[in-house]
Amino acid sequence: MESLAVYGPSIYLGPAVNIVHLTAMVTFLGALLIVDLRLLGAGLTQQPTAAVARDAQPWLLAGLVVLVLTGIPAVMATATLQYANSVFWVKMYLLSVAVIYTFTVRRKVAFAEEGRFGSSTMKAVGLLSIVMWLSVAALARLIMMIPANTFEFLVG
Amino acid sequence: MTEALLPAFQWMEVNLPGGTWLRESTFGFSFLLTAHVVAMCLFFGLILMMDLRLVGIANLRTRVSEISPRLLPWQMIGFVLMTVTGVALFWAQPLRYFGKTFFWWKMGLMILAGVNALIIHLITHKSEAAWDSKAAKFAGAASIVLWVAILALGRLVAYDWMTTEYFVE
Repeated sequence: MESLAVYGPSIYLGPAVNIVHLTAMVTFLGALLIVDLRLLGAGLTQQPTAAVARDAQPWLLAGLVVLVLTGIPAVMATATLQYANSVFWVKMYLLSVAVIYTFTVRRKVAFAEEGRFGSSTMKAVGLLSIVMWLSVAALARLIMMIPANTFEFLVG
Repeated sequence: MTEALLPAFQWMEVNLPGGTWLRESTFGFSFLLTAHVVAMCLFFGLILMMDLRLVGIANLRTRVSEISPRLLPWQMIGFVLMTVTGVALFWAQPLRYFGKTFFWWKMGLMILAGVNALIIHLITHKSEAAWDSKAAKFAGAASIVLWVAILALGRLVAYDWMTTEYFVE
C-alpha cells in the first residue's frame, strides 16, 4: 500500500492542515472542558449545566467537524505508516468510544434538567470525558514519536 | 539581532543541569511535547471560550464578569503546565531553538498576548458597560489571533524552515 499523495507537490499544505487540525482540537476541547468542568461542579457554576452545555454545543460540533475533515487527509498522506502503527489504532478505537460516549451518555447527563442526576453521577461523567479526550489528544501526538509497536499487545 | 546572545545559548547547551540527560533520554522529548500539547488544550481551550464570549459569539448565557474569574484558575493550571513543559523542552536543546526563527517570533507574540491579557483584565474589571465595548471585543479577537499564531509557530518549529544550525565551539 502506497501513501496517497493527497497534498500534491505542495510542501506547505501538510503543515497548514496540521495547524488547522490543532486549532480545531483546541476549539473542540475548550467547548468540551467548559462543560466537563461544570459537571465536576467547577468553572461556570452560576449557570445550570444544561445552559453551559447548550452554549458550548455549536463549538463542540464545529470543532469536531473540522477535526475530522483535516484528520482524514493527514492520515491519508502517511497511510502506510499509520496502518502499521499500533498507537494510531489505539487512538482510533478510543476516539470512537469517546465520540459515542459524548453524544449519548454525556449528552444526556449534560443536557438534563437540574436535579435529574446526582452530583456524583455528573462528576463521574465529566471526569470520564476529560480523561478519554485528553488521552485521544495525547495518543495523537505520540503516534509518530514512540515506537509503532508500543501498543501491539492491545491491538496486534 | 539575537546573534549577540549566541555565546549565552552555547553556554546553556553545555551547562544547564540535567540538560544533557534530558536531550539524550529516549522518550523525554516525546512525553514533554505530549504534555505540552495536552496542557495547551486546557489553557488555550478555555482562553478561547473566554475570548469568544468577549467577542460576543459564544457562551452568551454567561456574563463576561463571571466567565473570566471562574475560568481563570483552570487557565492558570494549563498555563503553568505549558510553561513547565515548554521550559523543559527548551532546557534540553537551547541551541536548537536559538537557530529557529519561528521560535523567536513565538516568544515575541507571547509577550504581546501577555500585554493583551492584561488589557482584557483591566477592561473586565471596569464597569459592566465596558464588557460589551468595542475595546473588549477587539481585545478578545486580538487574543484569538495571537494565540492561534503562537500555536502555528510552535508547530512550525518542528520543520526545518527558517532554521540555522549552531554548534558549541
